Amino acid sequence: MRHQRREFLKLMGVGGAFTLLPLDLARAATPAAQDRATYISASAGDHDDYYVSAFNAAGKILFEQPLPGRGHDLGLRPNHVDVAAVERRPGLYALILDRHTGDVRAKLHCPEDRRFYGHSIYSNDGRFLYVSENDFEHQRGVISVWDANDGYRRVAEFDSYGMGPHELHLMPGGDQIAVANGGLHTHPDQDGRTPLNLATMEPNLSVIDRKTGALMHQASLKQDWHQLSIRHIDVAKDGAIAVGFQYHGGLTDEVPLVGTYRPGKEIRAMEAPDTVQVRMRQYCGSVRFDASGQVFGISCPRGGIVTFWDAKTSDFLTHIAAPDGCGLSATDRAGEFVNTSGLGNGWRMDAIRRKRVELPDDSHKSLRWDNHLQRIAI
Amino acid sequence: MSRYKLGPRLVNHVNIRKTHMSLKLCWRTTSLLTMATALIISTAAPKAYADIPDEDYRPILEHLLTTVMPPKLDALNDATVDLADGLTNFCSAPDADGLSDVRGDFHAAMDIWQEIQPWRMGPLVANGRDQHIEYWPDKHGTATRQFRKLMFNKPVAFTDPVKLSEASAALQGFPALEEVLFDDEHSDALITASEDGVFLCQYGSAIAANLVTITDELRGEWPGFADAMRTAGPESMDYPTAKFAATDLYRALHEGLLIISTQKLGRPLGDSEKDAKASRGESETSKRSLRNIHHNLIGLLAIYDGQWGDAGEEGKGLAALIDSSLLDRSFRLNWQTVQDTLADLPPSLTELLDQPDGYQKLVDLRGQIDFLTSLVENDVGGNTNLGGGFNALDGD
Repeated sequence: MRHQRREFLKLMGVGGAFTLLPLDLARAATPAAQDRATYISASAGDHDDYYVSAFNAAGKILFEQPLPGRGHDLGLRPNHVDVAAVERRPGLYALILDRHTGDVRAKLHCPEDRRFYGHSIYSNDGRFLYVSENDFEHQRGVISVWDANDGYRRVAEFDSYGMGPHELHLMPGGDQIAVANGGLHTHPDQDGRTPLNLATMEPNLSVIDRKTGALMHQASLKQDWHQLSIRHIDVAKDGAIAVGFQYHGGLTDEVPLVGTYRPGKEIRAMEAPDTVQVRMRQYCGSVRFDASGQVFGISCPRGGIVTFWDAKTSDFLTHIAAPDGCGLSATDRAGEFVNTSGLGNGWRMDAIRRKRVELPDDSHKSLRWDNHLQRIAI
Repeated sequence: MSRYKLGPRLVNHVNIRKTHMSLKLCWRTTSLLTMATALIISTAAPKAYADIPDEDYRPILEHLLTTVMPPKLDALNDATVDLADGLTNFCSAPDADGLSDVRGDFHAAMDIWQEIQPWRMGPLVANGRDQHIEYWPDKHGTATRQFRKLMFNKPVAFTDPVKLSEASAALQGFPALEEVLFDDEHSDALITASEDGVFLCQYGSAIAANLVTITDELRGEWPGFADAMRTAGPESMDYPTAKFAATDLYRALHEGLLIISTQKLGRPLGDSEKDAKASRGESETSKRSLRNIHHNLIGLLAIYDGQWGDAGEEGKGLAALIDSSLLDRSFRLNWQTVQDTLADLPPSLTELLDQPDGYQKLVDLRGQIDFLTSLVENDVGGNTNLGGGFNALDGD
């Protein structure tokens, strides 16, 4: 482990310097004050009241926009004020909000025979919004396409090539979309969330041409691991995909919970040391690459830890405790992330120096921060 | 932040209503307290639980981790030493009485291990230690396959405890020793000191010696882990608050019950009576699957109660945070009901399933365990503020 960490620090260009850094200097190495970005996430109050909320790098709340129901992730329209807040599965609505004020700019209604699954992305030119959905009667996932230039009209949909599509991201170049098909069949008549096919679930990771809907690549885990639901992903600038799994089998089963993938290859499973692996509690929340694209973080809210991994060497790097921490966003510094918690906390985390600093402004603590966090660079 | 927070709420309260309704049919005895508790729970609106100061969790950590657990780890190590000595004695002059004695040593060591097993944290799981002590569940029959191959080749390396410690986990812990000592085919070989018997004796001795080493390492590493937990604070990257550290104890209690239900009972129960299979149970070669559960429950209750046999003190576990004597009494009564049920059952699943109503008795036992789980999720998790959080319970 120590060797892996030394190699990693060398790669990051901080090895020699860092090992000699005294603790107080290491602390000063991450000045939140220089981060002028806005962080935005779905959130909740204490009385089944739900919002999209934004805060600055200090944790000061900038706005709270009430939602009709619990949100999940947010899609950011490039070079535009629009932010898509798609309702958590089984979702019926999505709101398009102004990223600066939270004002509602448009509302999307899910067709009767579909349900939104909480995640969305825009095309690089900002014209099209892609939303993961459940076609529950036909037990298949679909990706719907909405034209932002035409009042967010639903203009098309294509197959996600699996059941229960969840997080989706553009691949570098912007022509292909990577989709995490969780493999779970759910039906709104049975609460829309309870898995109905645990024995037969077949999750996969699909890369789809966003213009034709054609399947370009697909990868699955080995059959023994078919209950590892592939739910959350992030894509690095070089096309590497980091993957977080959620296991639906036994509590003590020894299964990997993290993987990396490059289109055309197999998913490479990764495991943390046993004491950390057990604390991941068979469940990953958010996945985010850092600014360098070499480190990625995976939050594990059931275990209350955030784990950090090296995408190049496929090594586990370290973990930092974060009670009920799930929302994860990279800052503009290599190895640095902001993590938010369902208990109301927000932290800045440094994966290289294994450091966690609470955001100084207490206003963000009035809310429970939901699963995913996005950063809007100024 | 508001003084009161909603506890782990509606979803759990809905679940407990369903669970309780289904259990009502299969329970033979239902205490009035149980009914009272269920009524309180089923009619309650989402509950508000008072915030608990972080410092209130610290004495519980201190008590459970430094007073209660260390003597049990010593007892486990002592039991494996007795087992290793017992095997050495038996192997020097094997006979039926000696085999019976060493089987007794095995049961004694297994009893204390089963009490410790649910405390799945820190040194217990480090480097796969719990799996090296007991490789189970073995879904793919790895141990049987490897054991068969072992008996065919009889490699000398497997009679050396150090070399054995580098072998497959399936061949080095309690289940492997159970195969040596309790499989009918091996008993004669052991007693007659045949070629197989001599190898089995040496291999069994190596397993026991390896268990001594592992359990000694376990008790050696525990104090460092306990220190990290009980000194939880903002500077710690592992345990930033005492409450967060205490969450690992709550999780051990919760998951321990889930594991009993889904693995220790669920696997042998199968999908139906026709599908039931005692051999899928834990330690069924030594005919003690249900005895294991009895000992699991002793170790688990210690987390709540604070007393574990002659170690610790009643009321100093998670129970110290329960502010309702009704809930506390109800929880203890329901726990005792399960232990009483187990006391009426044979220790072996095979024996139970051979009875005409054995399958139903096993279903009933599982129902009782599930009810305990719902009490832990709602009453204990809620009142101690240690139940799952907003994101942890989300499942998305």
